[in-house]
Amino acid sequence: MLFVLSEEHKHLGFLSEVDPAVVGESGRIAVEFLKKGSNPKIYEGALNVWSGSVQHGLEGLMYLLTESCKLTISEEDFQDSVLVLGFSEELTELLLQLYLENRKEIRQILSKPAPSLPHYHSLEWRLDVQLSSRPLRHQLKPTVTLKLHLEDGARRSAHVLQTDPATLQHLIDELERALAELKSSHCRRILHNIQ
Amino acid sequence: MELSESVMKGLQTLADPTVFDLKSFTIFTEVAFDSLVSHRGGSVLGHPDLKHIDQTTLKHCHTAATTFILEGVKQNADKSTISSCLEDVKFLNERVDTFYISFQVGQCFVSLIHGPPHITDAEWRLEYCIKNSHVHKVNQPSYLISLNTERAGASSEINFSCTMDQLQDLVGKMKDAAKSLERATQS
Repeated sequence: MLFVLSEEHKHLGFLSEVDPAVVGESGRIAVEFLKKGSNPKIYEGALNVWSGSVQHGLEGLMYLLTESCKLTISEEDFQDSVLVLGFSEELTELLLQLYLENRKEIRQILSKPAPSLPHYHSLEWRLDVQLSSRPLRHQLKPTVTLKLHLEDGARRSAHVLQTDPATLQHLIDELERALAELKSSHCRRILHNIQ
Repeated sequence: MELSESVMKGLQTLADPTVFDLKSFTIFTEVAFDSLVSHRGGSVLGHPDLKHIDQTTLKHCHTAATTFILEGVKQNADKSTISSCLEDVKFLNERVDTFYISFQVGQCFVSLIHGPPHITDAEWRLEYCIKNSHVHKVNQPSYLISLNTERAGASSEINFSCTMDQLQDLVGKMKDAAKSLERATQS
């Protein structure tokens, strides 16, 4: 699957006018910007080229990388998509390498802003047994206290919950049923067919 | 709500504008709630803005107010119950409102009395994510878990998502807890 570069993305044209070393450096900076956010000071110093076109060029490069990663396009499709910019073979090869090396990481970054619920991080548990209370002695009443750690982007939350042995067993049975469902033939067929 | 005579008397004094003007009343209410909710709450006795009130009276009113608050929380009293009790001891409307606002905020310490929420059930949903607006070809299954909890008669839910590995981790840990429970109750 190809993606189409429009007129605006011809900003990438600046890459064919500079050294391959500069292209490599621009690529590295573009990936850094994707990971940590853009920082204008870096390109003002590092690339020794007029800053207006450098900014557009870097943004074009970032767009190229994010679109390719979003669609997880193959090598041939990447090369064909970039063809419209009329780059030399060496330059296309450099860009392709940049894409392949950083693809996995960029996809991970892209999947973070998608809408989602807080997700499971870990569970701590504690067993308490009530032995005695003011009205009643010689008891043996077990309780399980759970601390459920959830993560939502950078935010962590912890929920302290309690349950009794019977409910705990019920929860275990129910969640094991959920796990078993993924191995059922219906789910296997769907997972296999949508790829 | 059944309140003792001492508590009623203390509240009546608190309602009296000749003993507690509005400013002192507001400060008193804040400090009284604070003393129940947080460990670092200041004391009404020796509070700089309440120095003009007799310390014994202050102590009596504090006991009455905190007893009233604890009764209210214990019985999960609603606005009309609280308001009618306070009106019976001659609280002016303004003071009833001030008191009730603090009461609602202070209800967070319900956990001290009732303990953490109790899990009653778990619901789950298995989904397969195909794509989203940022990434195409996600192709990953995920679970949506909802834990139903109950505390002091009120039920609520905790919702979260997890992958298969994470769910296995969760179930594994719960099974460890159940095994320990069995061993402990057998010995």
